[in-house]
Amino acid sequence: MKLNKSEIRKSAMMNLLLVILAALALEATSVVQYYYSQKEIKEEASLRAEGQLENTRIQISDVLDQAEAAVRNNIWIAQWCIAVPDSIQRVTERVVSNNPVVVGSTMAFVPGYYKNSALFSPYTYRDGQTDELKYKTLATTEYDYPNQEWFQKGIAIESGHWSEPYIDKGGGDMLMTTFSMPVKDYSGRTAAVLTADISLGWLTSMFGDVKMYPSAFSMMASRTGKVMVSPAPAFAMYDTIQDIAASMENNEVVDVLSREMLAGESGSKTVRFRGDDYFVYYAPVERTGWSMCIIVPEDEVSGEIRTMAWLIRLLQIVGLLLLVFILRAVTRNQLKLREVSVKKDMMESDLRISRGIQMSMIPKVFPPFPDRKDIDMAGMIIPARDVGGDLYDFYMRDEKLFFCIGDVSGKGVPASLVMAITRSTFRSVSGRETSPAKIVSQMNESMADVNENNMFVTFFCGVLDMVTGKMTYCNAGHNAPLLLSDSVKELPVVPNLPLGIIADMSFQEQETELHCDDALLLYTDGLTEAEDSHHEQFGLKRVFGVLHEHRTATEHLETMRKVVNDFVGKAPQSDDLTMLLIHYLGDGSEQVSCRHLEMNNDIRQIPRLEAFVADIAVRRSLDPGLVASINLAIEEAVTNVIMYAYPKGTEGTVSIDSKDSPGLLEFTITDSGMEFDPTSAPKPDTSLDVEQRRVGGLGIHLVRSIMDSVTYQRKGGRNILKMTKKI
Amino acid sequence: MDVNITKHENVTTVAFVGRLDTPSAQTVTETIAPVMEAADGTVVLDCKDMTYISSSGLRIFLALRKAAAAQGGKVIVKDINNDIRQVFMMTGFLSLFDIQ
Repeated sequence: MKLNKSEIRKSAMMNLLLVILAALALEATSVVQYYYSQKEIKEEASLRAEGQLENTRIQISDVLDQAEAAVRNNIWIAQWCIAVPDSIQRVTERVVSNNPVVVGSTMAFVPGYYKNSALFSPYTYRDGQTDELKYKTLATTEYDYPNQEWFQKGIAIESGHWSEPYIDKGGGDMLMTTFSMPVKDYSGRTAAVLTADISLGWLTSMFGDVKMYPSAFSMMASRTGKVMVSPAPAFAMYDTIQDIAASMENNEVVDVLSREMLAGESGSKTVRFRGDDYFVYYAPVERTGWSMCIIVPEDEVSGEIRTMAWLIRLLQIVGLLLLVFILRAVTRNQLKLREVSVKKDMMESDLRISRGIQMSMIPKVFPPFPDRKDIDMAGMIIPARDVGGDLYDFYMRDEKLFFCIGDVSGKGVPASLVMAITRSTFRSVSGRETSPAKIVSQMNESMADVNENNMFVTFFCGVLDMVTGKMTYCNAGHNAPLLLSDSVKELPVVPNLPLGIIADMSFQEQETELHCDDALLLYTDGLTEAEDSHHEQFGLKRVFGVLHEHRTATEHLETMRKVVNDFVGKAPQSDDLTMLLIHYLGDGSEQVSCRHLEMNNDIRQIPRLEAFVADIAVRRSLDPGLVASINLAIEEAVTNVIMYAYPKGTEGTVSIDSKDSPGLLEFTITDSGMEFDPTSAPKPDTSLDVEQRRVGGLGIHLVRSIMDSVTYQRKGGRNILKMTKKI
Repeated sequence: MDVNITKHENVTTVAFVGRLDTPSAQTVTETIAPVMEAADGTVVLDCKDMTYISSSGLRIFLALRKAAAAQGGKVIVKDINNDIRQVFMMTGFLSLFDIQ
């Protein structure tokens, strides 16, 4: 299954939507940020401009104050000196010399005040170069002081008057402004004005140098709008702010601006001049009616923020591109992952099927030969992963049991394929050969030939003659099977090389004889090398421990599996665990024979005992009377188990094993019920009369009476009752 | 195991055919319950065709014997084979029953 196109298109659409949303969010953020930053920066600029203007106003006021004080402080002397015209010069000298800001001073008399002269105005001024005091008279016809603004307004305004800035030709000969105050004689008649000139050159250097921003400039206009300070070349050609206003583009704003400036108000405006926007901050110097303004190109204020905005936008675009890139990569990965997981699902289902096929190759129904009394078998494979490389197999041909166990190197599917090949090769080769060595070497030939992946199989193959108990076997690098006889021990094996390594190998065959009740446990190293969480291995010693007790084949393996599970605990199963147990109950030896019978704890199964005993009776040609009493003893023992070993309603089993040899019969009754020792029951008194005779206890009494020995043992959670009878 | 019960006047004859082992003892207990209840006469246990008896069977015999003794009746065991006689001997039943 592949992902279809509509799914891919859907995820692409989702990604596109995501990118668009991200872009919108980023844009909104930057717009908001831009708006607030600009607002803040404008406020900041406005505050700075206001501060600057206020600072300038204070400095100007200081100068003006000094000039005003110079005049006011000398008014009384001037008044006194009116009577002595020759001392007038001294008054003006005082005004200038005591006040460094004052560049010149005169006391100009009302024309005709002194009868002998129409005009009288001695003037003291500071020489621009030498700073020396110089003297001259302003009472010249060229200068015509009575027509000067400073005289006319000065005489009229009691509290003093600051003149419009002017170039004092014939007076101070510089741009100046003059403070003038009327002087009255003692008769109260206005006689003259006393003045103090201040140069406006310092204004230019003080105010013009105010630089809020690199290209900001300042301007000061007089009460009538005359430009006093204008360091900006752009405006050099304009004399008045009205002219400047006329040159601006957004006239309405500029009109308001110039009107407000002239009216001595303060504030700020945005004006447009030659295509550029300017912020204008303005404030008055109230005393003189001047208006100051600071003009800042809008670019300069918002430029930085605009640069920042562009930078942010650039970064956002980079971010968006990155997002697109990441989304693409993530989406591709996801699609790939989904494809992989779909493939994985398919593979897992393949593995499950493989496992099914693999397990179907292995005999799983136990007991495998229910009709045979001479053999009991059990086998199990617990793969470590879904499909393993372990195998066992067996079948009966010509009264011979062919069996094998193997462990393919590696795990997973490759191992399982080799396992399948091994198993089918075993079947085909053993179909025509009866010698394990021949079977093994032929298997080796055919497997080594096609072994391109260098996989190999440790293998053990045996052939058991069911009639004689003779077992021939051949080992190919596998663990030695365990032989359970009177004791548990490893079957002696020649190691040999595993299958599939080298063709032309010769494999050595070995032989042994199984006796009745002997058992053989074949296993793979998954059993002995099963590891617990501390990496301790299960080991052969623990295997021996489990095998020590008398059990049926199935019980042996189930117990083994349980013990291994308990040992391993939560540690992951490291290797396949495979076991095959063959319990030989045949007549291998003429001397001894074994029988095994297994029953449920149901008394309706008791009649099966008759046939079981009859079998032995025939073999040993027993006297019918003896047969009946043996039957009785066994029935009593089994009945005891059925009645007392298991709680009512629970299911359980009881197994009966017999071993007959010349002169002796041995019976073992085994159950895994509650501990119950029938031999401990008191012997009934058979001499009592009918009223005193008790109904119970007869069974075990009969067993004891019939058998020669009866012993009870509790071992491994099982009741084991052994009985012997000499014959 | 088959059990045939016949009554002739005061004599009840219970004839056992086959093996009286543990499973059959359970059914036989039910079958002869009426005989047990009216054991005031003579109860003849005909063992001519009984081939085998286990302790469960012996218990029935004993229970019948006790019931008869309580009701004033008597139990006669007839024609036991040698194997069964052996069992009777081992359990002391030979002295408990009137064996003919």
